[in-house]
Amino acid sequence: MAVASVEQLTFAYPGAPPAVGDVSLSVEPGEVVLLLGASGSGKSTLLRALAGLVPWFHGGRFAGRVEVAGLDTRRVRPAELAGVVATVFQDPEDQVVLAQVEHEIAFGLENVGAPPAAILPRVHDALAAVGAEHLAGRRIAELSGGELQRVCLASALALEPQLLLLDEPTSQLDPDGAEAFLDHALAGDAAVVISEQRPAAALARADRVVFFENGVVLLDAPRDAAIAWLDEHRPAWTSLQPSNSLLQASVSSHTLTHDPRNSLLQGRGGAVVSRVSDAVFAYPTGPRVLDGASLELRCGEVVALTGPNGSGKTTLAKLAAGLLEPAGGAVERTGRAAFLLQDPGRYLVSETALAEVALGADGRRARCALADVGLAWAEARHPRDLSSGERERLALATVLVDAPDLLVLDEPTRGVDPERKAELARLLRAQAASRATLVVTHDVPFARAVADREVSLGTRREALVA
Amino acid sequence: MRPTAAAALLAALAVAALVADHLWSVGALALGLLCVCLRAGRRARPYLWGTLVSAGLVFLLSPLLQSTGWHVLWSGPVVPVLGRLDVTREELWVAALNALRLAAVGLAFAVYALLLDHDRLIAAATGRRSVLAAVLATRLVPTFERDAAGLVEALRGRNLAPEGLRGHAALLSPLLAGSLERGTNLAEAMEARGFGRPGRTRLPSPPWRALDVAAVAAAVAIVVVAIWL
Repeated sequence: MAVASVEQLTFAYPGAPPAVGDVSLSVEPGEVVLLLGASGSGKSTLLRALAGLVPWFHGGRFAGRVEVAGLDTRRVRPAELAGVVATVFQDPEDQVVLAQVEHEIAFGLENVGAPPAAILPRVHDALAAVGAEHLAGRRIAELSGGELQRVCLASALALEPQLLLLDEPTSQLDPDGAEAFLDHALAGDAAVVISEQRPAAALARADRVVFFENGVVLLDAPRDAAIAWLDEHRPAWTSLQPSNSLLQASVSSHTLTHDPRNSLLQGRGGAVVSRVSDAVFAYPTGPRVLDGASLELRCGEVVALTGPNGSGKTTLAKLAAGLLEPAGGAVERTGRAAFLLQDPGRYLVSETALAEVALGADGRRARCALADVGLAWAEARHPRDLSSGERERLALATVLVDAPDLLVLDEPTRGVDPERKAELARLLRAQAASRATLVVTHDVPFARAVADREVSLGTRREALVA
Repeated sequence: MRPTAAAALLAALAVAALVADHLWSVGALALGLLCVCLRAGRRARPYLWGTLVSAGLVFLLSPLLQSTGWHVLWSGPVVPVLGRLDVTREELWVAALNALRLAAVGLAFAVYALLLDHDRLIAAATGRRSVLAAVLATRLVPTFERDAAGLVEALRGRNLAPEGLRGHAALLSPLLAGSLERGTNLAEAMEARGFGRPGRTRLPSPPWRALDVAAVAAAVAIVVVAIWL
């Protein structure tokens, strides 16, 4: 018997056109189903329908039938489905309730009425299942993004659900962290439905793939058949998917030296736009993040700055753009710099998308910038009505519109689907000659598609990409 | 000490500050709470700023708005609606007392927000929903501070750094909108994790110790003495 079945589901959020239309599928016990599709194509809505949050939490118009473990989600509230279903949302910071790791994981167990004596052992079992026993006793505020996402997964696994729902859970993790997260998430007996915008790792582990477009299921097929279909019909989803080992080999083969003043750390293009020399930096309450880091950016080149979570990529990028000042070493800069931060929510200060972009330029240039990122249709939309991927592109437009001499993008592909990523790579390449561009990213395929050279922090390695 | 006992003690100190009539006693309470608050280090900054600015404004403005006392220290112009602006010794005394009361209550809240284990407070509470709502509201201050810093940093990254009071005030609306959105996301996640479902159980908590009992007894005693004095 299927763990979950969806029959002719059509749903529209209040005042909006249908987010999904006539969707039917079933999930068998232990099965791993991967949901793919562009931003706003209906993946998250389907996950919320399986959790009962659609329509209970969001309201809207609901037609069809969704059953999970034999329970009709129209009759059973999401809180009562908890335990049968568990969800890990995209942004871990928006789902954490308590301040301490063990208490946070125990929160769901308490809610579903687990026997008190069993709560703590189940908490520790869940932490062990995600390889995070060492986090027991830690405060949530002290955790890195990757650690926090593991705690969220542990909170879900502790419930021992029959159906685990994962909504782009690896979008903030580095490639190794994402692989480890998926290994832990998929190791149990639960059926898993996972939505991803960086599909390589999930595609390797999925039993079945469902591809959404404009709220409709275009494909529902076993993995191998789905890969063949994607290769033929949606190549962006499979064409930029080199494995981690390929990247490592490539980087290693180009490793020249560990000397930070090595010539490859120097730019290759026109005039120097920003030069960071032997920079030292520590945040007020923490240890040194950078200790003697150097980087040179020249007009005309695109540089990818990669490395694991916590290696100091963002800090180095902020130094290069002048958002931070180093405690030691030197930073020289010419011209104007624009910096795209990781959290697109920080770019939502106006009432419409056009007004948001026009804060930094006139209306004509703002319209062009919106069109460049594929959001011409959203001019009059409130920025907070956009999906996470669309917000990311809006934020990108707000920094592109300024025509800066140095453009720094910190994780610009978070929540952005592969087709949009390919467009973004083309856009950055097309405009590369007019500025220096630094892209901080975990997205290895994107880095390789867009960059002239790649600087890897943490390992102090560097490779020529092109 | 159990957070429940500590919360009771802090509440008692706040009540005592509101009830007491002696400058020295309210001042001593505020000073003691300030010392405890400083243990939180840099995290205490926004709370200290908020408390000290509010208390300072009460001290500066309330003598001008009152008309009590007969030992005039300064006499100013006549202002429509308010009448003559003057400051008397009695008004200054009342202003100082109210400012210290406000400071003591603010600092008690700061100690609660910064140093108490809210998880255990929620676990021990009988009205779990209300306590959880209060605890989540407590997090607004650091969250607002972090979000505001993020907005300013994003604008600096666009070469649009906000300037002056007006520029920063313009950030209030997006901050509030962001806060509402975060609250909605959190509520959704809580619903998905079974919050509000009947039949809830609790993680076993450690038994009461002598120190906890003493703290609750002290809390009761402080309130009684403050009322009596």
